[in-house]
Amino acid sequence: MPMPASPAVVWTAIAYLAVVVLIGVWAARRTRSAKDFFIAGQRIGLLVTAFATMSAAFSGFVFVGGPGLTYRIGIASLFIVIPVSFTGGLLCWVLAWRLRLLAGLREVYTVPDVVLCRYRSRAASGLAAVAIVIGTLAYLGAQLQALGILIESIFGTERFLGHWSLAVSMAIGVLVIVFYATAGGMVAGVYTDLFQGVLMLGAAVAVFFFAMNIGGGTESIARSIVGSQQFGPRFLDPFGGVPVFTAVGFFFVFALGNLGQPHVLHKFFMLDDPRKLRWMPAMIGLTQTLCVLIWLGIGLAVPALVAQGHLAPLANFDEATPAFLLGFAPDLLTGLVFAGILAAIMSTADSFVNIGSAALVRDLPQALGWRSGDELRQGRIAVVALAVGAALFAYLYGDLIALLGTFAFGTFGAALGPALAVGLSWRRVTAPAAIASIAVGMGVNVLLELLTKLAIFDAASWLPFAPGVLPTAVALAASFTVLFAVSLLTAPGGESVDEDVARLIEG
Amino acid sequence: MARSLSLLYLALASPAVLLSFVVGGPAAEVVFTILVMGFPVALIALATARKGRLGPPLRLPLFLLLVVLEGTSVGMLALRGKVMALPWFAGLPLAAVLLLVLWLAPLPVVALGYALTFERRGFDQEERDSADGGGAAGEDKR
Repeated sequence: MPMPASPAVVWTAIAYLAVVVLIGVWAARRTRSAKDFFIAGQRIGLLVTAFATMSAAFSGFVFVGGPGLTYRIGIASLFIVIPVSFTGGLLCWVLAWRLRLLAGLREVYTVPDVVLCRYRSRAASGLAAVAIVIGTLAYLGAQLQALGILIESIFGTERFLGHWSLAVSMAIGVLVIVFYATAGGMVAGVYTDLFQGVLMLGAAVAVFFFAMNIGGGTESIARSIVGSQQFGPRFLDPFGGVPVFTAVGFFFVFALGNLGQPHVLHKFFMLDDPRKLRWMPAMIGLTQTLCVLIWLGIGLAVPALVAQGHLAPLANFDEATPAFLLGFAPDLLTGLVFAGILAAIMSTADSFVNIGSAALVRDLPQALGWRSGDELRQGRIAVVALAVGAALFAYLYGDLIALLGTFAFGTFGAALGPALAVGLSWRRVTAPAAIASIAVGMGVNVLLELLTKLAIFDAASWLPFAPGVLPTAVALAASFTVLFAVSLLTAPGGESVDEDVARLIEG
Repeated sequence: MARSLSLLYLALASPAVLLSFVVGGPAAEVVFTILVMGFPVALIALATARKGRLGPPLRLPLFLLLVVLEGTSVGMLALRGKVMALPWFAGLPLAAVLLLVLWLAPLPVVALGYALTFERRGFDQEERDSADGGGAAGEDKR
């Protein structure tokens, strides 16, 4: 990533990190119990929950990877983010109400707790916990790696630290996250998410309008792009840059995959009053839609500027955002956006640190039938261990982590989505069906992604799929199929659902 | 009826999606697209049906959502490769405009649909008690 070399960027980043640390100090005084640590004492209101959901869901990919992907494949990349306008409603109608009421009926702090309540199966909840730990390590490792690279870029540490630069930068990022996540748990998590969400929103909207203006307006941008040899008309054709199976596959995975993201679902446990869900789809939908404007704005402006001859063609697609900011944006806006990217990465990372620690100290022991002791103390220790472990793994196996991080979303979605979305609405889904669905979703996604991307052999020619089919789309469809098939083949057995939970399922 | 139809749709559409991946080709792409756009509506209908039926207030927002999802995606498929062949609208090719409609139009439909039908779900007393924190989650586990 090119170095900003701008005092405005450096000081904005320092100010941002200072605010985050202060929130951690404030939150530490309000964290007294395991319930506070894992679900913020169930005292969070609508605004904080909505912003926390938005910022946890959006990592740095929205700010950096998305515009880069648009540069590479055109507006087909938008199929990844266009579901945001309705996924808030999908989450609330399908899951949020039931999750929050379950958290009122039972001691439910995590997604595996929900699986245990619903299916009365420690195997199912244990498998869900395993999926979460694997996905967390991958997702968290990728975020910490990105954070290290960003800090290195902002502060120019390579000039002073040489080959130790990345390690030290990652350590700084890990230290800040570990501090506020350990001290304040989810209380710190949601209120830093609120701050980070507001920052991300402001940066995204400001950059969108700036980018459209710099490009010369919508029609000028569009005409420049279609008239260029490098990009051409296919750039603005939704199915021009990639096969239909890829574009609609993005939509399939990112619309339905939301239903299995533990760091998003977890936020609904914290809501103080489920009746506040009334305006949740509006809040989530609006904030996410506005945040995505940066993807569209830079994604269109950069190719237009290249086509117009104002910017050199990019050698690395991920340079789209930094190249635009450093070449065209005022220092203050650049500082705001870099702080926004820091915020996006850290808001996702802190959610996963908490989710992962809960899986280690609560969900896995519960699945194994062990009694856990002081969950608050153990949770804090697990946060440190998880963050340090993921950072070390990311530092030592950087390429592998980047690869794993890109399909962690799909792993969660395929493994957990069907079992939760259908299982919490249809009593006929059995525990064996949930176990099979989770296993198939997780296993198929990991296997197919590794086979195709590590190029162990020419998997693309061996797999019986049409060109452009996404491995995660296969895993998600397979997980749904297995859930229904096994439910119909297995009778609801001894794992009968408690009557109050059953009434919640059937509505 | 709504619950049964949703379950039937999801149970049949899931393996059909897998089949489309294997068969491939333009027809399979169209089938895949149409099936995918129905998933969100089917899941919402399954989750919101009470005693098997979808309440009247929910029918319009879900119908509108389905029309937007299916209509825009089928429209984009029909306009493939015709970026320069058709008139532009608001400074963009028509297919790109449809993509933006797919992105933005569901927001008011879903946001207002959810908010305005919220109370009409008819919460029972147990749900109200649970909402007031009358369950075991009020106790901390150490």
